[in-house]
Amino acid sequence: MSEIASEGNETRIEISGVGKRYGNLQVFKDVNLTFNEREIVTIVGPSGCGKTTLLRCIDGLLPVSEGTIAIDGQTITEPREGVSMVFQHFGLFPWKTVRHNVGYGLKLAGAPKTEIDEKVPYYTKLVGLEGFEDSYPYQLSGGMQQRCGLARALAMEPSVLLMDEPFAAVDAQTREILQFELLNIWSMRPMTMIFVTHSIEEAVLMGDRVVVLRGRPSSVFEIIDVNLPAPRDRSTLSHPRFSELREHVWGTLMDEARAAEFELN
Amino acid sequence: MTKFLPFINSDRTIVRWMTIVFSVVLGAAIWEAVGWSFNQSIMAPLFGNGDDHPGTLPKLYNYLFDDEEYVLSLIQSIQLFTTGFVLALLSAIPFGIVMARLAMLRVALESYILGLYVTPMIALIPFILSILGFDFWPKVLVVFLFAFFPILYNTLEGARSVKPELLEVARSFRSSEWGIWKDILIPYTLPYALTGIRQASGRALVGMVAAEFFLSTSGLGEELITASRNFDMAGVLATILVITGLGISFMRIAGAFEQRYAKWRGLDR
Repeated sequence: MSEIASEGNETRIEISGVGKRYGNLQVFKDVNLTFNEREIVTIVGPSGCGKTTLLRCIDGLLPVSEGTIAIDGQTITEPREGVSMVFQHFGLFPWKTVRHNVGYGLKLAGAPKTEIDEKVPYYTKLVGLEGFEDSYPYQLSGGMQQRCGLARALAMEPSVLLMDEPFAAVDAQTREILQFELLNIWSMRPMTMIFVTHSIEEAVLMGDRVVVLRGRPSSVFEIIDVNLPAPRDRSTLSHPRFSELREHVWGTLMDEARAAEFELN
Repeated sequence: MTKFLPFINSDRTIVRWMTIVFSVVLGAAIWEAVGWSFNQSIMAPLFGNGDDHPGTLPKLYNYLFDDEEYVLSLIQSIQLFTTGFVLALLSAIPFGIVMARLAMLRVALESYILGLYVTPMIALIPFILSILGFDFWPKVLVVFLFAFFPILYNTLEGARSVKPELLEVARSFRSSEWGIWKDILIPYTLPYALTGIRQASGRALVGMVAAEFFLSTSGLGEELITASRNFDMAGVLATILVITGLGISFMRIAGAFEQRYAKWRGLDR
């Protein structure tokens, strides 16, 4: 992963001086970040730190209160072509079959039928949902539903993939399987991927860089270059550098969590 | 329990059918007994003997297969019902969804809608009569008013409960407003609207008979009034059976649609 990442380090996304406020509540402030081509950046932080909100701002779903977010030099004001998002809540249409859920974005984009007929089966198969094309979401397990959500995003062949705690709602074993499958899919067609998670292990395992958000209002506390060998697989989990980084991030966020707990008391 | 009472599995088809047949036969027997024990101007038995106790069922048969005028009345009533009902359906569903999308419109109109939803529409009939007169269209308006509000109310409830997550997905995938309607609002709201439609079909039937009674008499309402003025109880009851049959058919049709389009709702949540 690291060697692929080093191939393209052209900046794709630039976040400068960004803050988000809801009335009097400042969620985060003064966030400065850049995301490069073909790189996976994970954003980790305690719940309520605004990491998901930040991701929605990058997708153009929410306006920023201060600063600017630009993708390829263009300031984001609304969702943009080439950027796809995978949601924690899956966001599948319960009345559409897997086939039609996967093809949703393509159809909206006005893709010709031949293209849809070619890409939908390809991405359905890529995420391992072959044979479930005609199932409805309620007939699938949580993990399978998220595979469908992933296929829907990948079918757009985005150059930026936004992952909003995508595996938070699936069980632990499935989560691990999906993490490695996602890394595998990414290595076949690397793009800029921003992966928000509250799991420290997941952040270290998936990311080329890990962005740690903390504080109230939160801001970027630390950006860590992970530098773990590629390909990342189960053996990565026992790599000394992995444990070192995990403990490091853990320490950083625990201070915060403890402080928050005392503050509440 | 099973030790003392024979366990009858009511899920078995044969048991179900026999229960239904028994219930119908028992009901018919009670009707028949009551019919014979009263004067024929008060109550008619189902079967009767044609003279001092004319039967409801022979009369019904006579109406439907031997009486062209009656069949025309029936068609007239169905036309009235269908016109009013379809107009209500075509206006209430889009209107309900638009109101869910435009909060201001909803706030402005909500109290009117709730008010009209609970108003017995029959109270408006004299009003409609004095303004619009005796034509076909005032009657359509009555049926329309009976059907419109249940559909609107349920559609609005459905459209308001659309999951914001799905709207977010649509925005993220750069959907147009029409796309949001087609992919989310309509399919999500449809099962709710169909519940409203099923309720409305019963109400519209009341509207149909009321309109045919109180505006210019026509259709089945007129048949009912004529038969009752002639003390023809078999005729009255036969017409009531026809109206009941219509009501059940409309409910069944709406119910079938509800089943068909609410399939995804089954295990979702």
